Amino acid sequence: MSLTTYILMDFWRNLRNFANSFFIIVLPTVLFLIFGVSADWNDFMLPSGAGNVSAYTLVGIAVYGAAMATTSLAGSAAVELQQGWGRQLALTGMPHGLFVLAKSIIALVMAVFPVLLINVVGYFTATQMDTGRWFATAALTVIASLPFALYGLLAGLAFRSDAAVGAASGLLVVLGFLGNNFFPLDGVLLDIGRFTPMYGVTALARYPLTDGEIMGAGEAGLGTDPLWGILLSIAAWSVVFALGCLLLQRRSTARR
Amino acid sequence: MSTAQEPIIGIRHLRRSYPDGAGGTFDAVDGVSLDFAAGEVTAVLGPNGAGKTTLMDMILGLNTPSGGDIRVFGGSPRQAVRDGRIGALLQTGGLLPDLTVKETVQIIAALHEQALPVDEVLQTAGISEIAGRAVGKCSGGQQQRLKFALALLPRPDLIILDEPTAGMDPSARHEFWSRMRTQAAAGSTVLFATHYLEEAEQFARRTVLMHQGRVIADGPTAEVQRRAGAAHVAVTWSASEADLAALPHLLSHSSHGERITFRTDDADRLARHLLTATPAAHLTVRPASLEEAFVLLTGDQETDPKEGAR
Repeated sequence: MSLTTYILMDFWRNLRNFANSFFIIVLPTVLFLIFGVSADWNDFMLPSGAGNVSAYTLVGIAVYGAAMATTSLAGSAAVELQQGWGRQLALTGMPHGLFVLAKSIIALVMAVFPVLLINVVGYFTATQMDTGRWFATAALTVIASLPFALYGLLAGLAFRSDAAVGAASGLLVVLGFLGNNFFPLDGVLLDIGRFTPMYGVTALARYPLTDGEIMGAGEAGLGTDPLWGILLSIAAWSVVFALGCLLLQRRSTARR
Repeated sequence: MSTAQEPIIGIRHLRRSYPDGAGGTFDAVDGVSLDFAAGEVTAVLGPNGAGKTTLMDMILGLNTPSGGDIRVFGGSPRQAVRDGRIGALLQTGGLLPDLTVKETVQIIAALHEQALPVDEVLQTAGISEIAGRAVGKCSGGQQQRLKFALALLPRPDLIILDEPTAGMDPSARHEFWSRMRTQAAAGSTVLFATHYLEEAEQFARRTVLMHQGRVIADGPTAEVQRRAGAAHVAVTWSASEADLAALPHLLSHSSHGERITFRTDDADRLARHLLTATPAAHLTVRPASLEEAFVLLTGDQETDPKEGAR
């Protein structure tokens, strides 16, 4: 048995799916070029002095791209299984656990793509950070995408169709907006946004850069998110998504 | 089925129940006991909802029995599958539409321990010419052939086919069975579900007839067919009651004016008698439908015709 062949072929199948790859890789990079490179505020240094505004924007958009990758891949994996491909796989020597492993690897590699590309673009254009922070934020960005694998899985299990997974991926734009990924929020929107799923992971990925400080669109800072608060938000949403998946899994097993 | 050796599939009192949606349960498979010997080619025949797919899924370890016992190659179905001893063409086994035909075979081949060479399997299944085509653009018949290729991949000793010719036109169906015949001649044990009486007749030496989760007949195909194979013979003839009473192999009859339709369990004999010993003319013979055969075999007058074969 060659799990490597399975992973490579399935990865290539997903990568050549143009719509998928466009939204995961190309679109976030373009968004970064617009908001993180060409806008004139990007050269300002952050209050912490650890990098410039472009770096702050870079991390937010990279988190969005990575979350797109894990959402759509985990979701389509769930749909594949339920639409009968799972039965085909069940007739091979591959145990179910290895399928999950293979799909996790594929989703993670897919999540690395936009992160890598945006960071490289940032490096050669407007972004300034010191080396340690480049790597720290990039690594945390990939990790930040993990809860969204559960989110995508939830959508796939709940609605059993590629369209539903597409809608869930589309909804990430809204979650990204509320999660402070694209544009600095303040006031009521920030108060609401804090409790949405992408806020915590984005704040965590930015932590090496900001030490938790929240950027406003203006001069003044908007306070600080404590690290425990960020981690609590991530943990809470991960648990919510995981529980949803478990419940749906049980429902589908009972029906069979 | 006279073999001294251990059957390769042994099924005892197998049952699978589902909730019926009204608080109770119904048995999709209801106390089935069957043995299949090596090299046997068997048709499992029955209308939709007879329990064929549920039975096959359990033989493949894709569905868990509610009761009873099932052993394949002396072990559990899962183990037999993992060892690559069973190849199956599933009715509802999905394919990924964005892979090509060849990629599909390659990606599944990668998951078997000792798969046949991909090109050889494509050749055997007759899909070499469409190897580069995306699965989503293949016709239903081409997809069935691709699934057949996947079933052959692990060099199986036992091949299970769940309505393999669904979605094929008659010529594709003919071609499929001639490929399958080659495969069976090589010594594979074949078990296939169908609701076409002709497929059982042309291909299987043994036929298991299922209805409402139970086995209602099991034996050499010719015998099962004779028992189930009632036919209708129609003639134009103004016959008296006495004439009718003298006819051989008559089960029942109905008439429309001078046109009389007989139901018989031996169409040849009845037809010969009608043509040689009576003035009956314009004789036609029509084989009974599978549904009629079921009614005959079960003697179940309440059989819902809507459940019948297509």
